Amino acid sequence: MTDAEFREAYARHKDVLFRFAWRMSGSAAAAEDLVQDCFLLLWRNPAAYHPERGTLGGFLIGVTRNLALKRLSRERPHDELEEESAICDALDPAGRERGEMVAQAVAALPPLQREALILAEYEEWPLEEIARASGAELAAVKSRLHRARENLRRMLAPLL
Amino acid sequence: MEPTDDPKLSKLLREWQVSGAPASLDARVLGARKGWWRFLLTGSIRIPVPVGVAIAAILLMMATALVRQRAAPPPASTLSLVSFRPAQDLNVRVMGGNYEAR
Repeated sequence: MTDAEFREAYARHKDVLFRFAWRMSGSAAAAEDLVQDCFLLLWRNPAAYHPERGTLGGFLIGVTRNLALKRLSRERPHDELEEESAICDALDPAGRERGEMVAQAVAALPPLQREALILAEYEEWPLEEIARASGAELAAVKSRLHRARENLRRMLAPLL
Repeated sequence: MEPTDDPKLSKLLREWQVSGAPASLDARVLGARKGWWRFLLTGSIRIPVPVGVAIAAILLMMATALVRQRAAPPPASTLSLVSFRPAQDLNVRVMGGNYEAR
């Protein structure tokens, strides 16, 4: 990968990756670390990306989500990535802005539900692309998204 | 985007906005790919305080030792007697006093 190709890839994908990493980690500072690590991996080992397996954007999201999940499991080693039975309670809206409540609700989702929701709702990715980036079956992604929306409806009920 | 069965929820979710990548990220990503020669010119490293203190102490001791070494007088040169030849004809003559008169 030449310097020009790398710069082009960075310019094209940095915003999507940063928004995704921020929503996954809940912190802008952590998002900067994650996106930097993602691009450094690409720079050091561009052969890891195989164009026949999907888009570069999908590959980079996959790398960022792996880094984010690794970070989450380091910070909260006892949390399950995918809690099928996770039921989130309604949030108390007292004195808080709606955007802040939404952020809190998304952060409360189990990581794999959160990742599916972010890519589908905020980045408007098709489910097939989400499945490819997260290395999961299409049915699993549909199921995660469904549960994520159910949880959000419950948590954000006072605002709906 | 997949159609959602709850447009109200989708609209509410959009109320959480996050910005795109900040300019500081550009410097971190694009600057982090510098070659080693550029790193030698512009790079910086972080070292633990104990290591830094130890390095400074060692340098100080080396500098002190060097200064002391330079300030000390040169060691006395050794005298070699290899080429020394004693006088062959030694005529002892005592000067002064009354001995000469005798």
